Amino acid sequence: MAGKISNTPATYMPSPTSQNKKMSSIFTGSDWVRPDGRGPHQCRPSFLRTGAVNYASGSAYAEFGNTKVIVSVFGPRESKKAMMYSDMGRLNCNVSYTSFATPIRGQASESKDLSSMLHKALEGAIILESFPKTTVDVFALVLESGGSELPVIISCASLALADAGIMLYDMVASVSMSCLGKNLVIDPVSEEESYQDGGLMITCMPSRNEVTQMTVTGEWSTPKIHEAMQLCLDACSKLGKIMRSCLKEAVTLPQE
Amino acid sequence: MKENEEEKSGQLVTPGEVLGKPAELKAGKGAYVSPHNNTVYASLTGFRTLTYPPPDSPDPRPTVDVTGHKAHGAVPEIGAIVIARVTKVMARMASADIMCVGPKSVREKFTGIIRQQDVRATEIDKVDMHSSFHPGDIVRALVLSLGDARAYHLSTAKDELGVVSAESAAGATMVPISWTEMQCPLTGQIEQRKVAKIGA
Repeated sequence: MAGKISNTPATYMPSPTSQNKKMSSIFTGSDWVRPDGRGPHQCRPSFLRTGAVNYASGSAYAEFGNTKVIVSVFGPRESKKAMMYSDMGRLNCNVSYTSFATPIRGQASESKDLSSMLHKALEGAIILESFPKTTVDVFALVLESGGSELPVIISCASLALADAGIMLYDMVASVSMSCLGKNLVIDPVSEEESYQDGGLMITCMPSRNEVTQMTVTGEWSTPKIHEAMQLCLDACSKLGKIMRSCLKEAVTLPQE
Repeated sequence: MKENEEEKSGQLVTPGEVLGKPAELKAGKGAYVSPHNNTVYASLTGFRTLTYPPPDSPDPRPTVDVTGHKAHGAVPEIGAIVIARVTKVMARMASADIMCVGPKSVREKFTGIIRQQDVRATEIDKVDMHSSFHPGDIVRALVLSLGDARAYHLSTAKDELGVVSAESAAGATMVPISWTEMQCPLTGQIEQRKVAKIGA
């Protein structure tokens, strides 16, 4: 028995080095085929619905390819007692992952970072003066993580806020982009994100033409950044239109 | 969904949609004016409705409102009349949970306090909190201020404000007999309250 155990390794590990080499040869080529067969500037098909959670004041469900997110909005409700008095309303954001969101259990990225990013992206779009002293809670739950979660969470949260009847300056749409070698790919999936040289995410208010948040990571050249920003902004305005039509549908076709 | 059919004439808008220019429109509920590009935008989802002012008013611009769909739950505002349930009576103040703001019930709990000096308009230093309110009383009050981090400041210092419904020790709903007293219909016992004058 003891000999058998020593023969089989205690832990199983795929050999990442050989896989990496294979992938990188594809990635350096200029004609890079995306894993889901999209064009480099083609976004994933999206599905948006409001009113996913009955219990919340407002909620929305978003599905972009394999990334599936539910956002619920509560309030405005009384701020926690420990909070200082403030004339303005507060926004409280929390992002969490289900245990089954990633292919391997518990591999979800740091959700505290995402929470503060979500807060920053939404803060500028909410008319906080309209609910003084109170707090609006935004809870995002990632059901399945298929890449570009944060932009999906942000867009979905803005939809949920609009559904809750929170006063907004504008809807918030968010799109991310990856730089893979010479290629710029929009709305990357997890696989692409893990091999990217650089990532860029833009969150904007499409009708006001204002950017509420922009994150750039990794290596970028100036012309690349320029191109990526233009593409992202254009995609945001298109996503904004889809979000508006989703809200309008919810009013004209009541689901109750 | 009757509302929808009645208001279908109005255009359906979502937050951030342009409603017009402030030179021609005044922003009402669910709309705001953005100063940097001088445009009126919607801030809610709903139907765009125009209200024209009376012809003799100095400002001829119509007011644009966005109404009809969901708005967030009521939040207490300064000057609003609220209905609250007394939860705790202390020597200098009583705390109460706000249940309604104006005609709307709140979705979430808000705490308010009625301080000793805000119970009635006269002899405010002689107020005895325990002979003004009891826990469980339903009170109509005015929101004085947003208060501190903990609670809204409420006042009952008006004839029409104060206890509107209270239970006696015997468990029956009491009948008001004066602005300071209520009587139990079962036992005839008289209890002290700051009674609101209703329907006068």
